[in-house]
Amino acid sequence: MWTYEKRLQFPVKITKTCPKTAQLIISQYGGPDGELSASLRYLSQRYTMPVKAVGGLLTDIGTEELAHMEIICAMVYQLTRNLTIEEAQAAGFDAYYIDHTCGLWPQAAAGVPFTALEFQSKGDAIADLTENLAAEQKARTVYDNLLRMIPDPEVREPLKFLRTREIVHFQRFGEALEKTKEKLNEKNYYFYNPEFDKQMIHKE
Amino acid sequence: MNLQHLSIASVPIQSWGPIYDGALALKKGTIFQDLDMPFFAANDTETTNRCCEPSNASDPKQQEREAMMLQIYQVSFEADDLRLYLDTHPQDAQALELLKNRLMQRRQLLKNFAQQFYPLTMDCMANCEQMQDKTGCYCWQEGPMPWEGACV
Repeated sequence: MWTYEKRLQFPVKITKTCPKTAQLIISQYGGPDGELSASLRYLSQRYTMPVKAVGGLLTDIGTEELAHMEIICAMVYQLTRNLTIEEAQAAGFDAYYIDHTCGLWPQAAAGVPFTALEFQSKGDAIADLTENLAAEQKARTVYDNLLRMIPDPEVREPLKFLRTREIVHFQRFGEALEKTKEKLNEKNYYFYNPEFDKQMIHKE
Repeated sequence: MNLQHLSIASVPIQSWGPIYDGALALKKGTIFQDLDMPFFAANDTETTNRCCEPSNASDPKQQEREAMMLQIYQVSFEADDLRLYLDTHPQDAQALELLKNRLMQRRQLLKNFAQQFYPLTMDCMANCEQMQDKTGCYCWQEGPMPWEGACV
């Protein structure tokens, strides 16, 4: 169950129209390392996690990623809400405009549509948590790249916030992996799959 | 972990350390100073950071709304970050005490905001005087949508 809170996690107030910037940051909506992908990854993986607290962490981070998706969407919306046809053409936003006008649609910066193939839910706690560590790093790199290219401080502030969140989430997933290891065979972490071979996991 | 294990990732468990106050934590993206690792190309001067400050609205009611909303952003974000920390450090009494304090503040702020302006959550609708605005509509539709960037 989820409840909605009528505010963003971080304030977004962008006053200058810029379809070029919108086209770049939309990648964090529907791109391979975007917030939608992150949210669905964690919220899908959590059901079969062998350590209850790790399932709880995945729920909390997956929920926060939904709020990050909303921040990105708010930015794309504000960057294009007063768009003119001339601005769309000059910025190369015309192809997006033809298919979606100024509506929000999850895609990568290069136009590739959002797909669940961007993430995994493997049914193996070590595989999934290791994927999550990599996912947070890849998202951080996207924010680094965006910060190199986008000069508008009204856009940079939320991007900097979101970048730091990737670093915090990496730390938490690392701690979750350590917690999971405690439940495994300490001589051989790969002796069995803790999500499938449940009878072999350490009981507390 | 005592043993060095081959062929698996290891991340050190974070220890409790110095924290930022609510305003700075929101701006930085974390309450934990140890996890604040900025990017060299994002080292902007302070004068450009207007995002987390109230606008220069002339309407005193709007000023008050923005100031209260900003407090809600800050306190809620501190709680968000503390909750993730506690998810992996459930025994940390210091973090727990701080989270409890921020959640009490948040509850009071959400209640005040609903009484004076509009409800931010479904539960806050119970704090709206008559559940109706001046036009007779029910209060959930009041206030700007979050993505409009109007409030803070």
